[in-house]
Amino acid sequence: MLRGVLPVLVALPVVILFEQLLAAAPFATYLLSIMGVNIILAVSLNIVNGMTGQFSIGHAGFMAVGAYVAGVLSLALKEVALSFLPVAVSDQVFLLVALLLGGVVSAVCGFVVGLPSLRLRGDYLAIVTLGFGEIIRVVVQNTDAFGRALGLSGIPQTAGLGMVGFWVFLVVLVARRLAGSSHGRSLWAIREDEVAAEAMGVDTTGYKVRAFVISAFFAGIAGGLFAHFVPIINPGSFTFVKSMEVVVMVVLGGLGSTTGAIIAAMFLTLLPEALRSAFTVMGAEGSLAQKVDQIRMPVYGLMLVALMLLRPQGLFGTREIWEVLPRWLPRRRKGLA
Amino acid sequence: MSSKPEPTPPQLADAPLLRAEGVSIQFGGLKALTDFDLSIHKGDLQGLIGPNGAGKTTAFNVLTGVYKPSQGEVRVVGRRVNKLKPHQINHLGLARTFQNIRLFRALTALDNVKVACRAEAFSDAAAHELAVGAMPIGQLGALAAIVANWRTLLLVGWWKSLLLTPRFQAEERRITQEAEHLLEVMGLSHRRDEEARNLPYGEQRRLEIARALGTKPKVLLLDEPAAGMNTREKADLMVLIRKLRDDFSLGILVIEHDMKLVMGICEKITVLDHGEMIARGAPEQVRSDRKVIEAYLGDSYLETHGGAA
Repeated sequence: MLRGVLPVLVALPVVILFEQLLAAAPFATYLLSIMGVNIILAVSLNIVNGMTGQFSIGHAGFMAVGAYVAGVLSLALKEVALSFLPVAVSDQVFLLVALLLGGVVSAVCGFVVGLPSLRLRGDYLAIVTLGFGEIIRVVVQNTDAFGRALGLSGIPQTAGLGMVGFWVFLVVLVARRLAGSSHGRSLWAIREDEVAAEAMGVDTTGYKVRAFVISAFFAGIAGGLFAHFVPIINPGSFTFVKSMEVVVMVVLGGLGSTTGAIIAAMFLTLLPEALRSAFTVMGAEGSLAQKVDQIRMPVYGLMLVALMLLRPQGLFGTREIWEVLPRWLPRRRKGLA
Repeated sequence: MSSKPEPTPPQLADAPLLRAEGVSIQFGGLKALTDFDLSIHKGDLQGLIGPNGAGKTTAFNVLTGVYKPSQGEVRVVGRRVNKLKPHQINHLGLARTFQNIRLFRALTALDNVKVACRAEAFSDAAAHELAVGAMPIGQLGALAAIVANWRTLLLVGWWKSLLLTPRFQAEERRITQEAEHLLEVMGLSHRRDEEARNLPYGEQRRLEIARALGTKPKVLLLDEPAAGMNTREKADLMVLIRKLRDDFSLGILVIEHDMKLVMGICEKITVLDHGEMIARGAPEQVRSDRKVIEAYLGDSYLETHGGAA
């Protein structure tokens, strides 16, 4: 039993320490938080798109569900505190509750969306998830409780790097444990050959929906975290562009590779920042953010084209970094051995 | 038509493991299979032959639940499985291989078998599924469908792998041992960690059989297991199939084009042509059957050579 929870017990103090160390660097904290959210999104989407071989392109929709559910709950409970706990701890407890609620609602959405579309084989899921993402955005845009197009502001900024890091750790743990278990093998089997998997006794629909539910849950968590460290959330943060960004991360890292998704998420989070610095060095005038945003999509596109030509299986293919690196560095490996 | 002198209340011990009665299947106007009967008991080794396009693989697909029969019924261990999904039928004890090899190509040989071995561990979940799955979800409302699938929503069965419980770890060890044993039986131990797509053709066929055995079947359906094998490999396969039947006490049904192989190992052969059963019986009997010769060689052959039997 200890082995099951030990990694979590080890990780907790580490992420808390990390948060304390970076307390004096707000920009680094912000950037790392964004990076963490992107990692959660990419790793969770990889469970569906990579491991199970289904194609979901509505991850931003699930993120939005988590963000708004958690955000609204936190706004409602803003003035409340648990009197028997210090304020900071009480805040974190409420944050955790809000996150979990956002995640669960998102998971239920995933279940409702996935059940009919995953019963079928083929690209239905892509179309349905695309529609789902747009529906969520439009619903949010037209609902007063969610602040319409203006978005929600004033959500308590309680999600520190510690909380984000904790969930990053958790999603990676879940993805890795799943991949190494008999369930994970069944997911791989579905990806490889659905007909054969079904004939070998794998409940393909049930497994696909389960994978989708897990994925949606963590997307909801990512959205909830996002809502608790950015000053304002609005429908513009959860568009199809965001969904595609996550898909690009997964494809870039290699469909099925958890570490690949992590590295791609880090890279694509830092890319706009790098572009921004580049623009500053070049002395570009005007709204920097706008310029970066404009140039980002062509860069993504070029990167994908280059990737498909040079390395169609993505950075690591279906493998993990520790399986691939030794092969890339054969000489060093020999030296060590 | 089916006036066989069989006892109406089938004794449980003697009941056929797999039984098809009057099964027909139609795709639009095309009758792919008409009034197909078959029963396989424990220890049977039967053959299913016929010219190309006769409906042999269609028959397999109906038996394993890939297609739903338009008429008639299929029973596995006495249970009607017409409306069940392929994986549920597999849980009842029916496993198959595929004509065009369908391995999990990117997985290792061991993992291919492990995927199949997994099934038994969740027999309780499967039993529940059977109760729910037998209901036609389409007729229920959307809400009812969600309620019926609550186990999926709650990820039942998955938590122990996420929490890495001792029971789960023991189960994983058991699965690995089982899979390794099956690889050994099929003579594939040396390929344990090789990706399935890199195996030579004959070994891929054997791996498919190993994988099918992993689901602990009572009846094994082999779809052209010898296709693409050379004479020597075929001879080995014949010995192997017999051995499997005896060691795992299976009922086996083989589709095969190689007459030597079919006639050599099968005790009973069913011949299909244009979706209809045209003969059934012992190999010698089938070989000399007029209809069979006609189906394979055409009636002009019979005219010039004179009808046999």
